[in-house]
Amino acid sequence: MPATDIAIVAYAQTPSVRDANPSEVQLLVPTVSAAVEMAGIDRREIGFTCAGSCDYLTGGPFAFVSNLEAAGAWPPISESHVEADGAWAMYEAWMRLQEGDIDIALAFGSGKSSPSNPAEVWAQQLDPYYLAPLGLDPVSLAGLQARALLDSGKATERDFAEVVARSRANAKSNPNAQLSGDYDVDALLAEPYYRAPLRKHDVPPISDGAVAVIMARGDTARRLCSRPAWIRGLDHRIEAHSPGVRDITSSSSTALAARKAGYDGGPLDVVELSATFSPQELILLDALGLPKDGGSTKINPSGGALAGNPIMAVGLVRILEAAARIIDGSANRALAHATGGPLLQQNLVCLLEGE
Amino acid sequence: MSDVAKEHLVMEHLVTLTYHERLTENLNRYADKLLEGHITGHKCPSCGRVFVPGKGYCSLCVVPTTEADEVEVPDTGTVTGFTIVTPVAYYGQEKTEPFIYASVLLDGADTTLGGQDITGVTHAELHTGLRVKAKWKPREERSVEGMSNRGWGGFGDVVESFEATGEPDAAPEVYKEHLF
Amino acid sequence: MSNEKCAIIGVGQTNFKKKRDDVNIGGLLREAIDRALEDAELSIKDIDAVVIGKAPDAFEGVVTPELFLADAVGATNKPLLRVHTAGSVGGSTCVVGAHHVIAGIHGTVLAVSWEKQSEGNAQWGLAGGRSGGIGAGGAFAPWMRAYIEQSGSPDYIGWMVAVKDRRNAAKNPFAHLKMPDITLEQVKESPMLWDPIRFQESCPSSDGACAVILTNQEGAKRSSKPAAWFHGLSVKSELSNFPGRNPVKPQAGVECAHDVYRQAGITNPRTEIDMAELYVPFSWYEPMWLEGHDIAGPGEGWKMVDSGETDLGGAFPVNPSGGVLSTNAIGASGMVRFAEVALQVRGLAGEHQVPDVHTGLAQAYGGAANYFAMGVLRDSPPS
Repeated sequence: MPATDIAIVAYAQTPSVRDANPSEVQLLVPTVSAAVEMAGIDRREIGFTCAGSCDYLTGGPFAFVSNLEAAGAWPPISESHVEADGAWAMYEAWMRLQEGDIDIALAFGSGKSSPSNPAEVWAQQLDPYYLAPLGLDPVSLAGLQARALLDSGKATERDFAEVVARSRANAKSNPNAQLSGDYDVDALLAEPYYRAPLRKHDVPPISDGAVAVIMARGDTARRLCSRPAWIRGLDHRIEAHSPGVRDITSSSSTALAARKAGYDGGPLDVVELSATFSPQELILLDALGLPKDGGSTKINPSGGALAGNPIMAVGLVRILEAAARIIDGSANRALAHATGGPLLQQNLVCLLEGE
Repeated sequence: MSDVAKEHLVMEHLVTLTYHERLTENLNRYADKLLEGHITGHKCPSCGRVFVPGKGYCSLCVVPTTEADEVEVPDTGTVTGFTIVTPVAYYGQEKTEPFIYASVLLDGADTTLGGQDITGVTHAELHTGLRVKAKWKPREERSVEGMSNRGWGGFGDVVESFEATGEPDAAPEVYKEHLF
Repeated sequence: MSNEKCAIIGVGQTNFKKKRDDVNIGGLLREAIDRALEDAELSIKDIDAVVIGKAPDAFEGVVTPELFLADAVGATNKPLLRVHTAGSVGGSTCVVGAHHVIAGIHGTVLAVSWEKQSEGNAQWGLAGGRSGGIGAGGAFAPWMRAYIEQSGSPDYIGWMVAVKDRRNAAKNPFAHLKMPDITLEQVKESPMLWDPIRFQESCPSSDGACAVILTNQEGAKRSSKPAAWFHGLSVKSELSNFPGRNPVKPQAGVECAHDVYRQAGITNPRTEIDMAELYVPFSWYEPMWLEGHDIAGPGEGWKMVDSGETDLGGAFPVNPSGGVLSTNAIGASGMVRFAEVALQVRGLAGEHQVPDVHTGLAQAYGGAANYFAMGVLRDSPPS
């Protein structure tokens, strides 16, 4: 059984913006520094660092190498990199902390979607032999998923619009959100289709951003943070790749990851979900056994990915947002989710608690 | 075994992805100055090292650097490392003849400029410690179009090359900490 | 808390070739995975988690390809983690896989790494699609020149390494370039690519994959074959470029080595380690790493080559498999180092087996020689 006395003690993120002028590493330098400062530690106390990013998003092979400059990698550090959202970097760092020989670990994630057309880039994530040649872009794929969800009877277009209205209303109190405001559900439903049955507002914004999280063990965590966000469970699972061979109206890998992370269906104060398209929020809530309105659970108080979608950071941002609410005392039990791959192929669940 | 011929199993899948990126603030300033014939860098307020071009931060101290930390360095320097590259052919490669790929440490800088061409000596005469000076292109031919936030381009389109000055070689102590 | 001990109980490599057009990417990985599972006497159902590594996605032109490979590598409903640390990635992937076991998160883990360079263009990828690309050889050549200058090594040392590795590869059924009769003269006469590196002193571009099965003590008991036990493992990174950096002997490489020596209780690596698989894509990197990891003293690395100490029959054999110089499916190359050391300590290396290996050293490096992954493997578990 993994240790449960590892906690998030500090964090920082950039605002999510449409087009950041600083380079990816320039976004990371102040972000990592701010997290280190919040923890009140010297960089040298960090025993392991793990970064998450995507070369193709940045647009150059070995693009991740520059990001090392934000990690303070001189003298040399113990460090690794995942070609994935920063949430998976956090998973690797959390795993490394389990071994007990180090007390503090840093994970960060970063991505700039602004230089490219993300729909073109992520189309190249599909099976190169059977799917990519079809020219399927992620938004059209999400449209197919939304249609399947409607056809299954599990959701309506009004449900999609309600997700969007809730996301943007919640984002009003999030200074890092890109899209926020009060929206009328009927007015949203009156908008034209973009990829039917999806409307433009069902699709995430194009975003640039970076995020860093510092974790610590046991007494070190208590020393660095008056109310650490304890990681009670962390797990990730992947499904078959081809959307044609899985039920895209549900997310079995999210349900499995949640179970493996120790989520027993008990009450949650907050969930933060990487629902990139509005129908996915409904799919994820269903996978977690939560009602569409969350019931007593607050859904995406930050506004979620629909309010700001810095790919490769957005999943770790969800964990940050959940942890922040435990650290500030406004929540005691929270669940955060990150995703990767087409139509929720891969999912990570992090269960957090206050002491 | 299938009797399908091998060539029928091969599929061409050519993809074009276009990226548009503005130069970062620091590179944009650096490029403007370069077109005017001035080489600038950032001096770290914490450790005093001079990065050319400035990165907007010091990677050793992990502190931001800004316009306020800008310094100008001369266009003279020392070859600190080099190789002669026999070009490999690939899509987009224009080089066909062996070419010099040298690192030049400008006087007063702490970082080298990589991938520079050296003239005024034969390939056989090229050596570390060689003193060189930038041979600027005429102002109207200078370009910074190849410059990118990924560290590509820049110098190659504003100078023809670094030309050997004929001065005595720099002492190894001067550049041994700045080989590459 | 007490950590688990971790062993490699299965090793699988594809046949490495310039172009494996008989299989697609999934088929290539599966060839390595099936061989590793067979060696471990396990089936894919016994695997709890999969860690997968490769060098930049631009080499094949597929974005995060492990996602489409999830089915082929048997990862569905399991955790799948993708590692990317440039050329060291095969080594890092093995280390990350081992940490899953050591941390007690999973009992039996598949780590697999690969490159199918023939389905893309690595030279184009390395150059970022621009003209004037210098290749990895061009980037490393100035540092090799500096090593030669600093160490006073004669120029034939590079040729000797090339001859040794290509002849060793002839004894390795999976190797790409097998040249049992290659001579110093042939290396010396081959075209100069990046001064001082000649064609025959440089690695090939290969298609291939490598897989290892990692498990804990309980898992190792189930196998009828010997296991290779981790006694030390480490990853270290440093900035790729900064004033004062020594790229000839990068500090991250020094510290990575000392970290694994300390964990394994090694004080004199040259005598206490029986063989090593070091990441040598260009001949000069053999003496450079012997010194860079403090196996040999300053200026002594090339003398170990010169005296035949690093030969297959020498006192400190380096790259009995033929090394990266003979086989380079980039993403897989780092893991092949760990896999080959595992074969050696298990006594299963076949024709290129070094006699009586109890302790072996595996090393991979990447980027601008600023990423390192190392491991010490032994034939018995740590106490």
